[in-house]
Amino acid sequence: MEYEIKYKPAFSAIFVTLEPGEKIIAEAGAMASMDSQVNIKTELAGDLFSALAKKFLGGESLFVNVFSNETKQNLNLVLTQSVVGDIAEIELHGKDMYFQPGAYIASTPGIKIGVRWAGWASLIAGEGLFKLRLSGKGKVWFGAYGGITKKAINGQFIVDTGHLVAYEPGIEMGIKLSNGLIGSLTSGEGFVNRLSGRGNIYLQSRSIGGLVGFLRSKVR
Amino acid sequence: MNIELLHQPESAIACVSLDSGEELVAQAGAMIAMSSSINASTTLRKGKGGGVMGGLKRMVAGESLFLSVFRSPTDGNTIWLAPKLIGDLLIYELKGQDLIVQATSYLACSSEVDLDVGFQGFKSLFSGESIFWLTFSGHGLALLASFGGIYEIDVDGEYIVDTGHIVAFEKSLNFSIAKASSSLIGSFLGGEGFVCRFKGKGKVFCQTHNPGAFGSTVGSKLPPR
Repeated sequence: MEYEIKYKPAFSAIFVTLEPGEKIIAEAGAMASMDSQVNIKTELAGDLFSALAKKFLGGESLFVNVFSNETKQNLNLVLTQSVVGDIAEIELHGKDMYFQPGAYIASTPGIKIGVRWAGWASLIAGEGLFKLRLSGKGKVWFGAYGGITKKAINGQFIVDTGHLVAYEPGIEMGIKLSNGLIGSLTSGEGFVNRLSGRGNIYLQSRSIGGLVGFLRSKVR
Repeated sequence: MNIELLHQPESAIACVSLDSGEELVAQAGAMIAMSSSINASTTLRKGKGGGVMGGLKRMVAGESLFLSVFRSPTDGNTIWLAPKLIGDLLIYELKGQDLIVQATSYLACSSEVDLDVGFQGFKSLFSGESIFWLTFSGHGLALLASFGGIYEIDVDGEYIVDTGHIVAFEKSLNFSIAKASSSLIGSFLGGEGFVCRFKGKGKVFCQTHNPGAFGSTVGSKLPPR
């Protein structure tokens, strides 16, 4: 499968070329345009429970679309996300990867989509009670609002809520007041997300929560 | 008339140079700066879609009723135009062919371009989404805006575009509204709903991002007005 992420970093979109027999799975609504011979099939994301959990708990759609090329020539497809920002690709080799709600865009057929309990700390951190777990072997494309920064952590690391996009399973989430009770309330940082463990995390340079918070004060 | 695009692609704006007697018609609110000798007026566009009925039609369609007309009395005046959303701009030259433009992508055109709001090809098929279409015909330059980047597809045969990602397309293409998935249920559950299927030969201009999808991502978190 050939692909290119164009219009990086602000307006990233994935331009995919499917060879005969190839498939790509994408989040509902991710398709911007495509050759008309591309076959679309709508499927539940994983088994029924995972799909329901993905929808109601993971903040994503209940369904995914499977785009396949059943013709004898190459077909093109453009996939994107609803927010403006960067898109990155990672390769999974049997290791899991956790994603925050809304980050998942597309994956190759060897990837399984599921939902995992993320814990109360995650809820307080503004990251939701559940997280999206992708496992198996293949490629995963995910998006962010703003730019994407990859950071390897070993030990403890603190991330502001709403900026974490993806992280590896070796990382635990804990919740902490950034600066003591009074300091936290006055510095505007509030709760921060204290990560611990070893692995890679992906951060987004802006957060939708930040935009919404700004706009909310202007809406009357 | 000469158009220069600056700050592409994130925050593209257009700098239009007008010679004596030249006129530019723009979406109301698009002008951000101009030479002081340019005369600005507001119009109900005459022609097929003009007049009182045309204006009413536009009002019903939710499309801005008024267009701004900028007329340059002397050579060498400039006017600067910007769309509301971040994104790219495109200059399209009309040479007699018709172009169908998604109304929110319309930024400006020279006054020789005939602009009609009467194109009803896709009307009322998009529940909840108000998408309106303009027909450009004649000769001259048109300026189109996108949310995100613009990519051009040379259709020869068949091509599918999600309705929220269409900026404009040449009328030489036949189009039909189709379900994205083979089953109707799948189409809606899969979130793609209706798509536009273009057939024939011609260009389609697509935007990398869907303003409606971004709007609902942010809007669903805002308090009701």
